[in-house]
Amino acid sequence: MKLDIAGEEAFDVPIETLWRALNDPAVLKKCIPGCKDMIDEGGDRFKLLLNLKVTSVGGSFEGAISLSDKMPPAQCKVAVSGEGTLGQGSGSATFALEPQASGTLMRYSGEGEIGGLVAGVGQRILKGVSKYLIGQFFTALRREVTALSPAST
Amino acid sequence: MSDAGRHRYVSTDRRVREDRRFVVGKGNFVADIDLPNTRHVALVTCPYPAAAIKSIDKSTAMAMPGVHYVLDGAELAEATLPLMTGLDTPNVPRRPLALDVARYAGEWVAAVVADTRALAEDAAEKVRVTYEKLPFVLDAEQAAEKASVLVHEAHGSNVLLDKTFVWGEVDKDFADSPRHLALRVKWGRSSTVPIETFGVVASWDPWRDILDVWASIQMPRYNDQIGIALKLPVSSVRVHYDVDVGGSYGVKRGIKHTVLVSYLTRRLGFPVRLIEDRLENMRGGDAHGPERLFDVDVAFDDNGIIRSMKMRALENVGAYAGRSPFQLGKPVGAIVGPYKIKSVQYRAVAVLTNKTTQEAVRGFGQSPTNVAIERTIDEVANALGLDPIEVRRRNMIRHEEFPYTIPSGTTYDSGDYHTVIDKVLAHTSYEDLKAERDRLRGEGKLAGIGIAAALEPSGGNAMFEALINPKITTTTFMDSCRIAVDGMGSITATMHTTSSGQGHETLVGTVIGEVLQLDPDLVRVTRPDSLNSLPSGSPVGSRMAIMLGGAAFHAANKLKAKLTAIAAHDLGIALERAIYANGEVYDRNAPQNKRSWADLVQIAHRNYHRMPADMEPGLAVSHVMQVPTGGKLPTADGRVQMYPCTSFEFHLILMTIDPDLGTPEIVKYRIGHDCGTVINPKIVRGMTMGGIAHGIGAALYEEFAYDGEGQLMAQSFMDYLLPSSHEVPAVEIIHHVTPSPNTVLGQKGSGESGYLGAPAAIANAINDALRPLKISINTLPIKLSVLGDMIAQAKENKRP
Repeated sequence: MKLDIAGEEAFDVPIETLWRALNDPAVLKKCIPGCKDMIDEGGDRFKLLLNLKVTSVGGSFEGAISLSDKMPPAQCKVAVSGEGTLGQGSGSATFALEPQASGTLMRYSGEGEIGGLVAGVGQRILKGVSKYLIGQFFTALRREVTALSPAST
Repeated sequence: MSDAGRHRYVSTDRRVREDRRFVVGKGNFVADIDLPNTRHVALVTCPYPAAAIKSIDKSTAMAMPGVHYVLDGAELAEATLPLMTGLDTPNVPRRPLALDVARYAGEWVAAVVADTRALAEDAAEKVRVTYEKLPFVLDAEQAAEKASVLVHEAHGSNVLLDKTFVWGEVDKDFADSPRHLALRVKWGRSSTVPIETFGVVASWDPWRDILDVWASIQMPRYNDQIGIALKLPVSSVRVHYDVDVGGSYGVKRGIKHTVLVSYLTRRLGFPVRLIEDRLENMRGGDAHGPERLFDVDVAFDDNGIIRSMKMRALENVGAYAGRSPFQLGKPVGAIVGPYKIKSVQYRAVAVLTNKTTQEAVRGFGQSPTNVAIERTIDEVANALGLDPIEVRRRNMIRHEEFPYTIPSGTTYDSGDYHTVIDKVLAHTSYEDLKAERDRLRGEGKLAGIGIAAALEPSGGNAMFEALINPKITTTTFMDSCRIAVDGMGSITATMHTTSSGQGHETLVGTVIGEVLQLDPDLVRVTRPDSLNSLPSGSPVGSRMAIMLGGAAFHAANKLKAKLTAIAAHDLGIALERAIYANGEVYDRNAPQNKRSWADLVQIAHRNYHRMPADMEPGLAVSHVMQVPTGGKLPTADGRVQMYPCTSFEFHLILMTIDPDLGTPEIVKYRIGHDCGTVINPKIVRGMTMGGIAHGIGAALYEEFAYDGEGQLMAQSFMDYLLPSSHEVPAVEIIHHVTPSPNTVLGQKGSGESGYLGAPAAIANAINDALRPLKISINTLPIKLSVLGDMIAQAKENKRP
């Protein structure tokens, strides 16, 4: 099944800080929900090991993440694919960063496709689950960039 | 007509003997088979609707403790032959595990064997398969087009079957008829979903050259198919028929599961077991039934007399040929329903798509066909402003016209349709029902009356196989029974298939008890394994009352004749003077001169010197039954005697639909049912009630729905909705008995009763309810969401 994701998030940090964080595997590893490992395979491509558990449904996934179409520090495209216990998924999203009076606004939108058990069994909760996971990602990202930001020291 | 008095045990309300063990939880199901050292299988499935299998990395899984083996499609294909499909389509091979290409989401790609099922499941997750996604097609009409993506490249097309039959002067009858009407009806992909999924345990004994198989099976020629696929003589395949099957109604085919575990037990040397979980069952087991599109044209006159019908049935069979294409053939035996339609054109098209393979379901394609016929009859009535029951009465075959041969060549045995309708309407006044509907409408509800008249062809002889594939020349579909009286006088009868809840032990006991005039509970009924069995089909095609009942009847009569001959000889009287009664034989001229059961057993088992000359000692008889009316191949123009009997059912229901939410509710349910002589009323009642519940599911709730990406959305009972006690109303059954002249006791089949008419009745009731809004729906299941939206839209359009 297809899944649309879109939204915007405001950050209290300068655009350069946010850009740096989004391109730092060490930061991403901490922010991607359930990320056990992220192995740099060069050329902005990473191997991803995930262990996800949402309510009663849980499982391990192996995937790949790649960054492309970079326009530092304003825009970047992220493609993710993975498969595991519960099925497979793939998707891509574009992130656009825009400096604000104080901080940075991030807009993102993309489309995912999900198959296997998750698609069938979890169809009703998938939207909620993806929102929840995206929320987790941004909560962690906000924590990480705040730590990186010179203003916070 | 009542059976009371004609029979001693038949038609009496006796206990179903199997129920005792089921009620106390002492059934012997496949999951109860517990052999030492059994290892367990879990499956690796393809997540895509179509994908090339590039590589399979088993190393991580194989390294896990407790894991014994990971089998892939290449190894299995090397060692076994493709599964039997019955079609002449060599380029559409079906195998237990995908070879090179997987063709539906959920198709099995590899099998993992481990100490426990849990370990096997964990290891299955670690099998890494690299796929290359391929284009796919889901819709049957698209798949039928020349330009379509091909499911099987080598077949050159997605069409498995496209056959047009013309019986009678269709063109002339259409030209001569003042009125024509066309209708499109869709039957959604649904099935029977028994509580017990499919399971099989296989164990190879290399020192005896025997493959033992225990399975939750309902599959004709199961042992043959195992032997052929594994290249074993069938005498090396021992199928244990004394396994209780936890529900089937067609879907427990399990041949791919069986070939898989049979190969594994031979390869690995220990017993191997595969019990599907619900997800495996629904995605890639044998769980899916017909998904069919009908285009119906009828030619009729101003009185509603239907002269001719053209029907095209387009079946979405899924990725491989299961039993599905043949399910288009079976309805040929009742293609005009209970009506005197003079000529018929029938085009049967079966198309491959990237969905799960279809298997057999209760009625073998008859219930969808009945919906198409019955929706059409209602529309004819509506077009003429005539009452739908009156139109049916005018077109129905009359009692005195039987035996009646329909255009497609099948002769219906007997029936009294008008009387059944009269009895239902005597029970529930039609006028009162219409008044109640109108009162409900007056209260602002949507209310409709649903009517369906449907036939249940029964006594299955699988003649659709030869009709669809002329290379098949099978003209028999046997069933058999053996009776032995032991040296102490007790009676043991055997049957030679599994049962999936139809009460066959009760059937055999009742029939033998009836013939021998002895308490049926005295008759032990057992199921030997396949190596100790006589030829038997399986409990499909609503055939066992006719075929197993017939075999038991004939065997019991052979026993009775032997006992009578022994007694006549021992009494020193002519055979004609020896009368059998209640287990004894007496001299008609001197009734005090008799031989008791014990005397006769003594003579047969121990006093050979008192036996008639040349008679075999002991008391063992058997009968192998040919299907009544069977034995002839179809004619060149596709006319065939399909099944020997036709049961009849007439449904009359009242439904309401919530005008705001679209929720349908069945307010009243009446069914008139005539399956000839009833052998056990409890069993027939259970079949009919269950069949109606099943029909309610197919009409309103159940669908193996796919999304646009080829993913099955209904993979569990959260999404595959079954009717519960909230949705199934109280049903009143009105019985009628028109004995069949073709069977030993006048019995006909009832294994599909209720289901063959309920979906049609519900579709007609809903359309009657929607008629004031000038909208119509002919796509089953008629989902609440669709209904709600249609009603809202219609109301919106009505606003000034």
